[in-house]
Amino acid sequence: MMKSSFLRDCLIALAAFAILAVLPFVYPSRGMSDFVIRLAAFGIFATSLNLLVGYAGLESFGHGLFFGLGAYTFALTMQKLGTSIPVAFALTILLSVVVACVVGAICVRLKEIYFAFLTLAFQMLLHSLIIAWTPLTGGDQGLTGGVPRPPFLGIRLDQPYHLYLFCGGLLVLCLLLMRHIVQSPFGYTLRMIRDNPARATFLGVQVWRMRLAAFVIAGAFGSIGGMVMSLFVSGAFPDFAYWTISGEAIFMIMLGGTTVFFGPLAGAIMLLMLNDAVTKLTEHYGLVLGIIILMFALGLRKGFMDYLAEWWRGRQMSSVAAPAATQARPLPAQPVKVAGE
Amino acid sequence: MSKGSDTRRHRRDFIKTGAALTATAVAGFPFVSRAQNKPIKIGMPTIQSGRAAMVGSSSRNGCMMEIEKFNAAGGLNGRMIELIARDTKGKPEEAARLSRELVNSDGCEILFDSESSAGAFAIHEVAKDLGVVVMHMNTETSSLTADPKLRVPTAFRASRQGIHDSIAAGSYAAKIAKDKGLKKWISCSPDYAYGRDSTALFLEYLKHFYPEVEVVGEVWPKLYQPDYTDALTKILQIKPQAMYSCLWGGDLTAFVDQSTIYNLFTQMESFTINVADYTILTAIKNLPKGLHSSNRYLSTFPKSEANAKWAADYRAKFNEYPITWSWENATGTKFILEGIKKAGTTEAKKLADAIRGMKIESPFGVDGTVTMREEDQTLVNYAIGWGQTIPKDPFMPDVTAVDWKVIYELETAWKKKNNYT
Repeated sequence: MMKSSFLRDCLIALAAFAILAVLPFVYPSRGMSDFVIRLAAFGIFATSLNLLVGYAGLESFGHGLFFGLGAYTFALTMQKLGTSIPVAFALTILLSVVVACVVGAICVRLKEIYFAFLTLAFQMLLHSLIIAWTPLTGGDQGLTGGVPRPPFLGIRLDQPYHLYLFCGGLLVLCLLLMRHIVQSPFGYTLRMIRDNPARATFLGVQVWRMRLAAFVIAGAFGSIGGMVMSLFVSGAFPDFAYWTISGEAIFMIMLGGTTVFFGPLAGAIMLLMLNDAVTKLTEHYGLVLGIIILMFALGLRKGFMDYLAEWWRGRQMSSVAAPAATQARPLPAQPVKVAGE
Repeated sequence: MSKGSDTRRHRRDFIKTGAALTATAVAGFPFVSRAQNKPIKIGMPTIQSGRAAMVGSSSRNGCMMEIEKFNAAGGLNGRMIELIARDTKGKPEEAARLSRELVNSDGCEILFDSESSAGAFAIHEVAKDLGVVVMHMNTETSSLTADPKLRVPTAFRASRQGIHDSIAAGSYAAKIAKDKGLKKWISCSPDYAYGRDSTALFLEYLKHFYPEVEVVGEVWPKLYQPDYTDALTKILQIKPQAMYSCLWGGDLTAFVDQSTIYNLFTQMESFTINVADYTILTAIKNLPKGLHSSNRYLSTFPKSEANAKWAADYRAKFNEYPITWSWENATGTKFILEGIKKAGTTEAKKLADAIRGMKIESPFGVDGTVTMREEDQTLVNYAIGWGQTIPKDPFMPDVTAVDWKVIYELETAWKKKNNYT
C-alpha cells in the first residue's frame, strides 16, 4: 500500500517537474523563473518547518538557524574552497545535520515555550556569530563577491534556465522526500507523539529520539532552502539568520495551513505573491500584510489549505449522509481524516 | 452577372485595402511613434519604509532634480526618463529580487542603487548577472569599487567613500591636534562593521599625520541604542583630550543631546564626522558650538552660487533640506543622463564606455566638476571639508577643504596594502 502511494507520489513529482521544465517555453518570463527559484527556497524551508510544527508538535521559533547556516556554509564553501556544487551541497547538509544533532539534543527535551525560545536563542547565536566574524562572513554587510557556479554534470547554473530548472527540481525532490517521510511509520509516530506523548511512551516509543530525528531532518531540509536562496542572490546576508526569517516561515505555514502537506507551500506562494504585489503598490507593506494575516486569523481561524481540506471533507460527508438519511439505514463507519494526514 | 461579380470583388478589394490602410494608420504608425517615444525606464531599489525610510525619499528627490531637467529638455530624442522606485525594506535578498524584477518584468534598462551597503552588494551581483548598468549612489564601503575581484564593467559608484573620508578626517584632526596639543584620544562609535572600520581607519590616518597621538579608550555603543549614559560615564572617567565618533542618524542625535546634559563637549574637542548634514543639524535640540564635523551636505560648502542655488531649488521643490543622499543621487543621475546623451543610447556597454572616466560639471565638486575615475569607476574630486558647528543656520560657517592630492596619495597606498591594485 505504502509502496503504491510512493509510486503515485513519484509520478506526480515527475509530472510537476515536467510542467516546470516546459513552463518557460509556454510563458517565457524571467520574472516567473525568479519567482519559482524564490518559491523553491521558501517552499522547502516552510515545509521543513512544518515537519516540526504540524507533524511533531514542536513549535520552533528558530528554524531560520538552518536557513542561514545553509546559505552561509554553501556560499563560503563555494567561495573559499572552490569545490563543485554537489560537494558544497553535501558538506552543507552534513554540517547542518551535525548542528541540528547538537542543538536538537539540547532543545527537544524541553516543552513548548522553552523549546521555542531556546531554538530562537540558538538562531540568534548564529546571527551574532555572522555579525562578529567579519573576516570570514563579511559581518553585517554580508558575504560579498558572488557565489561561483562552476558547471557540473552538464548543468550550468550561470545559465538562467539551468538555475531555474535546478531549483525547481530541488523543490520537487525535497517535497517528494518530505512527503514520503510524513507518510512513513516514522511520520505517523510523530503525529502520535504530537497528539499524546505519554501514550507514545507507554507504547515503547522513545519520544525524545523521535523528536530529535524530526529536528535533524527538518534542519537538513531547512538548510537546502538557504542554499537555494544563496544561489539566487549569489551571496549570503545576516538577514538569512535573523529571527525575522523564522517569522516569515511561520507566517507561511499560518497562511497555508499546518494540517495539509502542501499547506506551507501554498502559504509560501501566497506570501511571496502578496509581497511582490503589495511592494509594487504601496510602501506600507507591513500594514497590508498585517491586515491580511488578521483576516486569516479572525476570519478563517486556520490556514487556507486547512480551510479547503475541511470544506472538502464536509462536502464529502454531507454527500454520503444525504442518501443515507433518505434511505433511513444505519451508515457504515466512515474513515475520518486525522489532522496532519 | 460576371460584371456585377467583378464590381463586387473590386469593391471588396477596395474595402479590404482601405481597412488595411486604416488599420496601419491607426495601429501601425503610432506603434512606430510609440517605440520611438518609449520611456527609458530606470529601476531604483531603495529603502522606503521603516526607520531608514529617509534614505529612499531623499535619494528619490535627488534623482528627480536631474531627471525633470532632462525630460524638460526633450529627453533622448523624445524618450523621457521614467524612474520606478521600489521598497526593499532594507533587506538584501529583497533588493536582489526587486532589481531582477525591475529589469526582467518592468523593462528597466538601468538600475539606480540607493540602498544600504549590504543591499548594494546584492544589487551589484544582479547587475553582473544581467549585464545592466548600475549606479551605486549611497554605499560608502570602499571595497565595492576598490577590490578588483568585485569589479563589474557596468557598475559605477557616485557616492562618497569611507577611505576618502577617513583620510580627510585624519588629516584635518591631526592638524587641530598638533595646534592644540591633543594627544589623548578616545573613540565612541557604533558597534558594527561600519563603526569599527571607519574608526580604525580614522585612527590610522590620525597617527599617520600626528604619531604622538595615544588612544586611551574605545567605547562601542550598540546600533540604535537609546541611552548613552554608560558610554558617556566611561568617556568622562577616562578624561581624554579629544573624541572621535562616527555615530550617525538618530543614534548621533540622541548621543549629542545626552552629551550636552553631561557637558561633555566643553571638556574635550569632539570630532563627530556625521554631524554636518541637515537632518542631524536640525534634529539636535541644542546644537553645541564647536563640534568638528565633515560636510555630509552643506549648501554653503563648496561656497558657490551653483551649490546654493541647487539647495534652494531642492528646498523649494520638496519643502525639506537636501542631505548627503540627495546630492549623491543627483550626481549619480547626472552621470547616467550625460552618459546617455553622449552614447546616444541606453545599451549597457556603450553607456558604460561613455560614463567611464567622464568629468561633469557639478555643484558638489571641488572646482565645480566631479569625475567618474576610469580605473575603478568611482566618484572622485567631490568636495570634502571639515569645520566647526554653530547653533544656528548656516550651522558650519567656515569649512576647510581637504586637499585631494593627499587623499589620492594615501588611497593608493591603502589599495596597495590591501592588494587592491
